[in-house]
Amino acid sequence: MAREGSIKPNYEILAIVTLNSKRILGGKPLSLLGENQEEAAIMTQDLAKAMKADIVQMKNGDYLIIRV
Amino acid sequence: MKEELISTEYIVLIITAILMGTLARFLNLKEDYRQYPTFPNGYLIHLLTGFIAAALGAVAIPALMTKNFVAVTFLALAIQQFRDVRKMEANSLEGLEQTEFAYRGAAYIDGIAKTFEARNYIALTVSFITALTIQLVNNRIWINVVSGIIIGLISFLILKRVSKGKTVGDIAQVKAGKVEVKGSELYVDGIYVSNQLGSENARKLFKEEGLAVVIYPNEEHFRITLDNYGLRQAMLFEATRSVGVKRYHFTRKDYEEGKGIIALVPLVPDIDRMIEAVKKTPLLESVKKSHALMKTNLVGRE
Repeated sequence: MAREGSIKPNYEILAIVTLNSKRILGGKPLSLLGENQEEAAIMTQDLAKAMKADIVQMKNGDYLIIRV
Repeated sequence: MKEELISTEYIVLIITAILMGTLARFLNLKEDYRQYPTFPNGYLIHLLTGFIAAALGAVAIPALMTKNFVAVTFLALAIQQFRDVRKMEANSLEGLEQTEFAYRGAAYIDGIAKTFEARNYIALTVSFITALTIQLVNNRIWINVVSGIIIGLISFLILKRVSKGKTVGDIAQVKAGKVEVKGSELYVDGIYVSNQLGSENARKLFKEEGLAVVIYPNEEHFRITLDNYGLRQAMLFEATRSVGVKRYHFTRKDYEEGKGIIALVPLVPDIDRMIEAVKKTPLLESVKKSHALMKTNLVGRE
């Protein structure tokens, strides 16, 4: 459910799938580089299914796999 | 030996009062739209604690009449017992949190647990009033019993009416909302709700099967109650409980117009049932405030 500023969010970013290697700066979540949009979408879908997680597509085309 | 036995009048008084108190608990033991409690074990537990509450209320008058004033202090035991009922309910519901479609939330659990405690007080009070009536009428046995039953029933109806709380439907309009999916974002009646629809499957699922309700407060100040996180969690819980959840459930509040939104992909696509469930969500004790009281000047401030 949507969270407000006063509520401590309990979501977790499980993975980031991007098309631009410059956006992978490190950090805890798994970061994957897709060769094109279609491959990134398929990778994201597969990972999200396996981890029973939700997908957020950012405006720049990158995907976040999150669990709320 | 016979002198130590309790008199027939007192036996009739105690039994009638216990029966009335237990009946009061039984009549409060409803399997309502919230479907709780649903199983025979739940009924048995609550009937039995109601019976004990009624027994405590019933023997108070004979204890007083026989000048056994110390014995009346066992009513303090009753308070402890009912607190335990509240704790038991709260623990039980907290334990079930992980198994539901959505969390009830601490505020809702607190409200439910307090209701169960209060129902035992109703059983005790009805039983006590029945016993008191029988003692005061002090006529033929059958006249005593009939008077006790009538006054007991009246007191039960009054207590039930007084203890009945309000629901979301009393302070707000609940209507179906139009679900729109733009890219990976979900909108209901043009209000942004979530951007968690990142995959094609999710977008398709919400477009085809998503349901949403919009809550419009009747008065501006009702926003304070309706925007409370505990109450919104309770509304979401009732909505998910009524129609099930196939995938996703979101709540959102719109600060501009004070609307609240609940959106989900249900197992049973019945918007009317979902609206009814949200309307009948009780206004939680922890979120209610008296608007009239806020205007009073209780401490003589200028």
